[in-house]
Amino acid sequence: MEKNKKGTVKSVFKSPYMFLVPALLFYTFFWLLPVSLSLIESFTSIDGGFSLENFKMMFDDPLFGEAFRNTLIFAVISLFLQFIFALMFALLINRNFKGSKWFLFIMLIPMAIPPSAVGILWNTGLVESGWINSLLSVTGLQNLIELLGIAEGPIIWKEASGLQAVFMIILIDTWTVLPSVMIILLAGLQNFNEEYSEAARIFGANRFQALKDIVIPIIKPTIITALLLRIISGLQVWLISVMIFGFNNVPFLLERIVFYTDQVRLGVYSYKLSVTYSVFVVAVVSITAYIFIKLTKGKDWSGTSE
Amino acid sequence: MAYLELAALKKVYGKDIEAVKSFNLKVDKEEFIVFLGPSGCGKSTIMRMIAGLESVTEGNILLEGESIIDYQPKDRGISMIFQSYAVWPHMTVYDNVAYALKLRKISKEQIDKTVKEVAKISDIYQYLNRYPNNLSGGQRQRVAVARAIAIKPKLFLMDEPLSNLDAKLRVSMRTDLKRIHQELKTTSIFVTHDQSEALSLADRIVVMNHGYIEQIGTPNEIYHDSESMFVAKFIGSPPSNFLTVKVKEREDKIFVIHSDFELEVKNKYKKALKNKYINKEIILAVRPENFTINKKGILKVKCNIIEPQGSHVVINIFVGGEEIKVVSNILTLKTNEEIDLGFSEKIAFFDIETEKRIR
Repeated sequence: MEKNKKGTVKSVFKSPYMFLVPALLFYTFFWLLPVSLSLIESFTSIDGGFSLENFKMMFDDPLFGEAFRNTLIFAVISLFLQFIFALMFALLINRNFKGSKWFLFIMLIPMAIPPSAVGILWNTGLVESGWINSLLSVTGLQNLIELLGIAEGPIIWKEASGLQAVFMIILIDTWTVLPSVMIILLAGLQNFNEEYSEAARIFGANRFQALKDIVIPIIKPTIITALLLRIISGLQVWLISVMIFGFNNVPFLLERIVFYTDQVRLGVYSYKLSVTYSVFVVAVVSITAYIFIKLTKGKDWSGTSE
Repeated sequence: MAYLELAALKKVYGKDIEAVKSFNLKVDKEEFIVFLGPSGCGKSTIMRMIAGLESVTEGNILLEGESIIDYQPKDRGISMIFQSYAVWPHMTVYDNVAYALKLRKISKEQIDKTVKEVAKISDIYQYLNRYPNNLSGGQRQRVAVARAIAIKPKLFLMDEPLSNLDAKLRVSMRTDLKRIHQELKTTSIFVTHDQSEALSLADRIVVMNHGYIEQIGTPNEIYHDSESMFVAKFIGSPPSNFLTVKVKEREDKIFVIHSDFELEVKNKYKKALKNKYINKEIILAVRPENFTINKKGILKVKCNIIEPQGSHVVINIFVGGEEIKVVSNILTLKTNEEIDLGFSEKIAFFDIETEKRIR
């Protein structure tokens, strides 16, 4: 009996794969099941048969085109802006100047504010008599704006629409997530062996060349991780838009999902629409992430054997 | 005019942490200088100031008569080997060596020629297309050497380049470094805390302690003619033995008296001892190999512990309660055997207060 343990109930429980069971259960019930159900749901008509009519309905949504375009523009531009600024701040803090700890602390504050509070914060700023306009008038910048003919009287920010509104949302989002991108890059920089860039500077590079040729390529894996996380959540923007401009004014793909789930009561049609939008967003995120990884993949130099 | 001159060089961190205190050194062209000292003695700081990676608090650095302290590292005409090698992991060996040449806007053909030439000198020719992560520590160090000599520097700086290698590789690598120096004759400064590295590589050694220079001299001068107790103790393995003795004068003869023996001082130190140290305590320093055994010695002692080293033995002996180490080539000595111990001519005396040599 001792020898023939294989196949008994006892040996199954002793198997190391048992450790995977909780995770597998979790993924089955909370990920695989809902995703497959939505997928099936999006490809079935109301009568129950296979059909593409849900997708047709989605493409016919008058705001679909704008939502799609806004989402892509938002993801790409915010990614670019956030990377540049986060890298600059990470390099600055990494130089460990006097007071850099305090600077880091202050920089991290937006990270601690919950997204809906961010919405409220900027909402109160962007109304006609909000803090942004008072700031402009107190600092005298309002006069400059009027002198340059950019606007007459206080700017009515919330009337912005189209791309202008998207850019405003990009700036607000950048303000919010910059610290999280920066902190990942900073971690990469702090693991970086200073002798690499010192060697570059001795062998003929100026500071910028050392950064471009040595520092950035060596911490590239960290950069890619940070940017991948950003591009994925960039494609899922909606809350700031809704908090500031309300539904239907500056549409995004995810804003559509929330809109059809929560805001309209068209019964089964709006449910179908939101599920279809979800499937579409999953596809867009997956494809974008795949392309991003393909584009950023360089030569593999990290191997340890031949 | 010296090729490289460090004039009253000083480095202060923060308000009052003096890492280097007024350092003066003149280096001739083609010389191989080693900075030797325990960690924290300021030797790496000086090297980094020469490289331009560390600012100079006071003093000047002149290379070929020209002050370089306001130059960027890249404009100083130096190259450097780092302790961690600092071979860039994302570039092939070829690109590592070629990078500096590319920045100097040298033609592709010339770069190719130089890279292959230095790769042959440093014995990495067959690895040119590999990435550093696929190389061993010793091979990476050779890449660092190739990269450093490719730019034909005025000055070659090495910051503990061998300390990350295993013992065997360290010894063969230092021979290679010496061979390369003999071939290229580039003026070199080498920082280490390993005295055998210093002795084997240097034309002149600068022994440092707490930001001060203890002694500058050839390996032989440093070893056989140590200026201070620090040098006598830091150099040599095992280091010098120190015995506290008292100077006495009897009938125009000078003796140093220890509880276990008396030694008449006949050589050049007699006058110095007579002038200043009569009836005072001083330190008698003897290197382990400068004892005589069973040849008309002056005290009988027992061999306490015997450590065979192959070509010689190291004997631990107690003299007046103090443990001393004696090196002998009599391989047949046994534990607890009584021997007749004497001193050779090569002994030195140190002032007990200043720890400086009495001459």
